[in-house]
Amino acid sequence: MENMNKLAAVARIKWLCVSRNTAVMIGPFMVLGMVWGCKILYGLRTDGKLVPMMMAVLLNLGITMNICTNGFLTVGTAIAEEKEKHTLRVLMTSSITGMQYFIGSILYPFVLTVVINFAILWVSGISMEQVSIPAYFLVSIAASLISCVIGMIVGICADTQMNANLIGYPLLIVFMMIPMFGNMSDGLRRISGFLFTGVVTKMTDCFANGVKYTVEPLDIAVLFGELIISALVFLVMYRRNGYEKD
Amino acid sequence: MEQNVLLQLSHISKRFKTDLALKDISMELHQGEILGFLGPSGAGKTTTIKIITGQLRQTSGEAKILGTDSTNIDASIYEKIGVVSDNSGIYDKMTVWQNLSLFAQIWRVSNTRVEEVLKQVELYEHSKKQAGKLSKGQKQRLVLARAVLHKPRILFLDEPTSGLDPTTAVEIHRMLLNLKQEGMAIFLTTHNMEEATKLCDKVALLYQGEIVEFGSPQELCLKYNHDKKYQVLLDNQEEIVLEQTSENIGKIAEWMRKNRIQCIHSCEPTLESVFLKVTGKALNA
Ligand SMILES: Nc1ncnc2c1ncn2[C@@H]1O[C@H](COP(=O)(O)OP(=O)(O)OP(=O)(O)O)[C@@H](O)[C@H]1O
Ligand SMILES: [Mg+2]
Repeated sequence: MENMNKLAAVARIKWLCVSRNTAVMIGPFMVLGMVWGCKILYGLRTDGKLVPMMMAVLLNLGITMNICTNGFLTVGTAIAEEKEKHTLRVLMTSSITGMQYFIGSILYPFVLTVVINFAILWVSGISMEQVSIPAYFLVSIAASLISCVIGMIVGICADTQMNANLIGYPLLIVFMMIPMFGNMSDGLRRISGFLFTGVVTKMTDCFANGVKYTVEPLDIAVLFGELIISALVFLVMYRRNGYEKD
Repeated sequence: MEQNVLLQLSHISKRFKTDLALKDISMELHQGEILGFLGPSGAGKTTTIKIITGQLRQTSGEAKILGTDSTNIDASIYEKIGVVSDNSGIYDKMTVWQNLSLFAQIWRVSNTRVEEVLKQVELYEHSKKQAGKLSKGQKQRLVLARAVLHKPRILFLDEPTSGLDPTTAVEIHRMLLNLKQEGMAIFLTTHNMEEATKLCDKVALLYQGEIVEFGSPQELCLKYNHDKKYQVLLDNQEEIVLEQTSENIGKIAEWMRKNRIQCIHSCEPTLESVFLKVTGKALNA
């Protein structure tokens, strides 16, 4: 591609910013640490071997938290930070296109999320025979991408980092908590089925219980549908005002 | 269209909801020329720059930049122009060098050029310093260095020296004059009339969204220099401004003879006074 240099420059900027942000850098390790800690804790009474239900809770918590924080919060606050420091406008008046900024911004969080998702499986100690790697890969990629796009929307809406957190956390709660408490009520379970994080939860439940998981048409529809909806919302908002209101 | 017209505005207006921020702005900018938009706060200077550089859409009128209509420009125009807005930021946590090298990557500019520009703005010895730790004037020089890194044909500056101490402002002025020597066209806004007088080949006096006067600073001053005045400080600390009438000439001669005058200045017209005359308002009120 002709403009790879620009994309690379944005990705480099994002990397330099993120790598100097300790809170963001230790996030993934906190998630891994939490999974590891819970594994020890849950396994205390059962000789370190987790009962399926506990394994399900563990995987679900770790994976949805990883997906949602990296997308909603990391991506969102990174854009808000550039608005706050008035560097976004500089980029947009230096021949960076909206698309280049978009891809450059989500590149690192997206790759990180997918990698950490696999690390979580490994740390959780689940038997790999119970895991369908291709399905996991596919769902993981789709869910991470959706989360990053939603993060871009958060970034468009917010104008300060504080603001990005204010918008990001409620979303985090909705997308993390509903699937997590899905088995407590029928209503929640039904809603959860239509959330991309719900698809993740369903999959990890199967893994934990040793049930063979296949990606169902409804799951695919939910993942693709939400990816398209979030991308459209992003586009409509971007078309209206760009990344910043004027 | 003339060969070296880089920027042309015709009958630009801008309405924000009900406020008319710009009314019928027309002007041209040529190669190697510094053009200043001089006006008080709220006159519409920033709005004008934003429209020309494609960050804001005009309500009516036409702006042509480097031959392209501003409504049709895409991101690639920014490879040929440099923009310094009134709040251009830098990446605080990165070094001075990184701040420029990122943009060098965007514009495919060599490291030698980065070095050259850093030397020009006298920040080369601070290359490894974190940009957030620079002084205000140093930051502004870094912003300017970034804007000229790719040798743009037109440089847009929104109040480049506001909030800077006089020495730093002078340094910035020197840089701008050098850039002009290299053939760059510069469009700047300011509410500082001394700056406009010193730097600009042409100034547009902007008041409430209208260009109320346009011309070289000298032209404008002479045009409004109808009544000559003298400011006199007498030995009793009395300060008097006298118009040039035969009566006053006699008075001054008399004081001179008696050695009563401590100092005397001719009140040359300044852009400030021109502005006051044209609009009835002071520039920095
Ligand atoms: N986004 C906006 N929405 C509504 N009104 C606006 C907007 N931007 C500018 N204005 C109005 O347009 C007018 C001109 O503003 P502008 O920022 O161009 O002034 P300026 O000459 O740059 O002033 P200053 O010297 O203070 O920077 C002001 O009355 C301002 O309130
Ligand atoms: Mg302004």
